[in-house]
Amino acid sequence: MTVSTAAIRTEGLTKHYGDVKALVDLDLETRMGEVYGFLGPNGSGKTTMIRTILDELRPTAGQAWILGLDSHRQVQEIRRHIGYVPGDLAMYPKLTGHDTLTYFANLRGGVDWAYVRELADRLDADLTKKVGDLSSGNRQKVGLIQAFMNRPDVLIMDEPSTGLDPLMQREFQAMIREVAAEGRAVFLSSHTLSEVQRVADRVAIIRRGHLVAVEALDELRSKAMRRVVLDFGSPIEASVLEAVPGVRDVSVDNHRAELSFSGKMAALLRAVAERYDLVDVNTHEADLEEIFLTYYREDDAIQSQSSDEASDKASDEVTV
Amino acid sequence: MLLQTVFTKTIRDRWLGMAIAAATLVLFMFYAMAVYTDIDLSIYTDLPAGIRELMGIPEGADAASLSYNVMLGFMGAVTLTGLAISMGSASIAGEERTGTLGLLLSNRRSRTQVLVSKIGAMMLLTLAGAAVLLAAGHLAPIVLDVEIGETHINAMMLHLVVNALFYGFGAMVVGAWTGNRALASGVAVGVLIVSFFAVGLLPLVESLADLARLFPWYYFDGSEPLVNGVNWRHIAVLGGGCLLFTVIAVVTVNRRDLGGPAVGETLLDRLRAHPLTDQIFDRLAGNARVARPWAKTFSDHQGLLIITAATMFGMMGVLMGPMYEAIEADVAALSDQFPEAVLALAGGGDFSTPEGFYEVETFSLMAPIAIMIVTIVAGAGGLAGEESQRTMGLLLANPIRRSRLVLEQALAMTVYAVIVGVATFAGVIIGSVIAGVGLSVTGVAAASLLVTLLGLLFGMLALAVAAATGRMAAAVYGTIGIALAFHLLNSYLPLTDRFAGWARWTPNHYYLSTDPLVNGMSWSHGAVLAAATGVLLAAAVMLFERRDIRQG
Repeated sequence: MTVSTAAIRTEGLTKHYGDVKALVDLDLETRMGEVYGFLGPNGSGKTTMIRTILDELRPTAGQAWILGLDSHRQVQEIRRHIGYVPGDLAMYPKLTGHDTLTYFANLRGGVDWAYVRELADRLDADLTKKVGDLSSGNRQKVGLIQAFMNRPDVLIMDEPSTGLDPLMQREFQAMIREVAAEGRAVFLSSHTLSEVQRVADRVAIIRRGHLVAVEALDELRSKAMRRVVLDFGSPIEASVLEAVPGVRDVSVDNHRAELSFSGKMAALLRAVAERYDLVDVNTHEADLEEIFLTYYREDDAIQSQSSDEASDKASDEVTV
Repeated sequence: MLLQTVFTKTIRDRWLGMAIAAATLVLFMFYAMAVYTDIDLSIYTDLPAGIRELMGIPEGADAASLSYNVMLGFMGAVTLTGLAISMGSASIAGEERTGTLGLLLSNRRSRTQVLVSKIGAMMLLTLAGAAVLLAAGHLAPIVLDVEIGETHINAMMLHLVVNALFYGFGAMVVGAWTGNRALASGVAVGVLIVSFFAVGLLPLVESLADLARLFPWYYFDGSEPLVNGVNWRHIAVLGGGCLLFTVIAVVTVNRRDLGGPAVGETLLDRLRAHPLTDQIFDRLAGNARVARPWAKTFSDHQGLLIITAATMFGMMGVLMGPMYEAIEADVAALSDQFPEAVLALAGGGDFSTPEGFYEVETFSLMAPIAIMIVTIVAGAGGLAGEESQRTMGLLLANPIRRSRLVLEQALAMTVYAVIVGVATFAGVIIGSVIAGVGLSVTGVAAASLLVTLLGLLFGMLALAVAAATGRMAAAVYGTIGIALAFHLLNSYLPLTDRFAGWARWTPNHYYLSTDPLVNGMSWSHGAVLAAATGVLLAAAVMLFERRDIRQG
């Protein structure tokens, strides 16, 4: 495969369950050598998307390719090149961790057991116990090892750090970065924004089955807002702050105002310092969570706007 | 004291199974009564009194009492007992295994309260099922205009329901004591099977007849309640057992640690851990078991396979030789007086020959049931089981085609069927040699091969349903329902001239209709069964390729 081949590509991928539109016209492309964060709240269609590109579900419309191979017709070949951690991971409770890995190793062939032991050491996993007797975090480790163990070209993981303690999460994130550094690809679905923020190169945001945005993480940050906290010597009015271009989400509590701001800080400071006694300014770069919420609000705004337009149109028609 | 939420939730979870079972039984009872009405009943009234008693047919034998005996006394009793066992074993141990008991008990409810609510739900549902059967029992003769003679159907249904509850309580106490659901239902079903046969067979040998009293099933139909009315002493024995079980359950469940959703340690695990045996058993239980999907499926239900094969080999095989020898003289004498149609009902065999005896006892019912159990469990578990446990997605992310997976499950199922078939063959041959019964080896081989094919066919049906739906319940219960319907059709259709030819459309017809124990293999019949199995396998592959994988 060439470098130019996309790790994962979808075109108009759509999946309906009866009337429920779980995925709508999804176009995305994950490149080799990158960690691709796939963000969305519960029920937004992340798992459906993953299960569809893995041929577990058959798309209502559209197509998907993994490493340039058709996700349905060439699924057998695809399966030789992927590692997969399903969301809400379930394995065989009566098998030990070691049995479980042996089972999948037998199905895949060519697993390097020295590497398996290395992974188990890194994640501090106990492979001698039965999977059913493990805590959910320890069970998750077995699931992670099976996904990494044959050094797949594309790693597809659905909420993979579920149940891991913070120390293990960091180790796991390091493992993800190493995969990308070796030129392989990681597709990481998550609702844990901080995790994606730490490891992802690019982020796609999905909501109600629609792709809302795809951004490089630095771009996302750079265009994004800052959270600003302003303390004043006297009570202030929110309307003054809201009037400044680039300001949004203002909340005022007597002497203190909190807001999101994009643009030049000087403009904001000038606007408030002129009229109020500014005591303190506190600001930090917005994290993904806030960006995320911003995207959601925008999306909502667009939707309500379009529905307003629709109703306007409807009322026009009635008038006519 | 009844914990309303637990009580009502249990009812809600369980009522459908009971309703389906009751509706099916009612349907078949109407059907059986209609068939019995259609055939010449003089053959029953001419029976000597002793034989009528043996068959549980009251004075002035009629279509109604016959259908009561077969549909309620046997099928109804076994079905309600099975459902009661399932509810009883799930009551504490089931919630423990799924990890929901701790959650339940965190709601300021004592263990005793939960247990009592579960018992209440089990009793109510069992009584409701019995009430439906009783109502149908009264209604059917009126609708079909059939004389019911001197039958005590109320008495029989009372015995039936108390008997079913006895086993349900038995399963409940084992579950409450140990927290092991599989053990609870295993013990109860084991006692049910052993006592059913003991009570049926022991009285045939005069010196052993009294031993039957040791087995609980004796207190259900030992007093022939349909003929003689309620035997309150027997009811008291079963009811007393239920009370005793309740007391033991309450005491033990409050004294022990509750288990979580843990897996538990088996004998194999201990052997794998022991330094003397670890190498060989690690290979058997570890590496060999996970070599391929079919090997894993094969090993997943090995306990069931061993028990089933051992039962067919020992009890239904080896034991039947000496058993036949012991009762040969009596049976031959009785058999002369049996009208042919009555014998046909008992499974089509002729008791006076060893082949006929084996056909009735081992081959007509038990052998197909045994092979069906293992193949249905393996076939449905390998596909629908993986889906309901949400492991199918992970499995199919490996380089294995869906079609290949179906074929591997079919292979595991075939190996299961062959093992039980061979165990049956070996057991019957050894029993025959020990007792000098003189069965023909080719005949036994033919019957064993045909029953293996028949069992495999129903297993493949379960596999196809699992492949089409991904639902465990549909695959298991759907197949059992269809198998039951085919069995009944194949038993009853030939009794009426009008429909005799229709039996050809049931697979069961291609099993014993050529008398393989006497005449040897019918290759054409074997080919029909094998072809149907092949068609089902092809259907399973196609259906599984097409659909979305279920998640839970």
